[in-house]
Amino acid sequence: MAERRKFKKRYCRYCEQKVEFIDYKDLNLLKFSLSERFKIMPRRLTGNCKRHQEMVTVAIKRARQTALIPYVVDRKNVVDNPFELIR
Amino acid sequence: MNHYETLFVVKPTLTDEETKAQIEKNIAIITDNGGEIVAIDDMGMRKLAYPVEKNERGYYTVVYHKAPATLIAELERQMRYNEDVLKFMTVKYAKKKEIAQYDKMVAAVVKKNDAPAAQPKQEEAPAPEATEPAAEPAKEEA
Repeated sequence: MAERRKFKKRYCRYCEQKVEFIDYKDLNLLKFSLSERFKIMPRRLTGNCKRHQEMVTVAIKRARQTALIPYVVDRKNVVDNPFELIR
Repeated sequence: MNHYETLFVVKPTLTDEETKAQIEKNIAIITDNGGEIVAIDDMGMRKLAYPVEKNERGYYTVVYHKAPATLIAELERQMRYNEDVLKFMTVKYAKKKEIAQYDKMVAAVVKKNDAPAAQPKQEEAPAPEATEPAAEPAKEEA
């Protein structure tokens, strides 16, 4: 038991909500799968299933292209309040 | 005829009439080239996640339309020339499931457009909500 799982095993949130399709304009759905710095969270941490992870990846990339969510948030490129964007 | 959804962002420096003119201009490109407008979602002025051509905000419009494939090339070519359009993206909905979702989104937009018709239009404009059946159009930007 030296190496314990750091994150609790979770179940796919999208499956729970029975999401059929993830629209890139619907930021509330994307929020689960984004880190604080707006990176796409890996499946092993979020517990998303493969099908939904693929959908969410496409949606996040589209949202980035249309300036709905930022590409990067770092010290040089600070967003005043990142959560203002997602509501 | 394919199902498409085109999102474009107009510069924030324009006046209201100019913004409207720009939107109508882009819609005219679709209708003139044999496209068919299904629904128009006015997302209004939003803060951009990152500056685009030194603009911090932009006016978002989403047009749902059915169009032949050749139209998209023409539409994107014209938008690229147009300096008042900051960003645009066209998404195609081809699979059966996607088209079902497309119809759902269109229905949501139509509903959203119909609902606040009784209220003054200005209140609807700054709503930063994404298109979803659950989203309330009454939510205001702080």
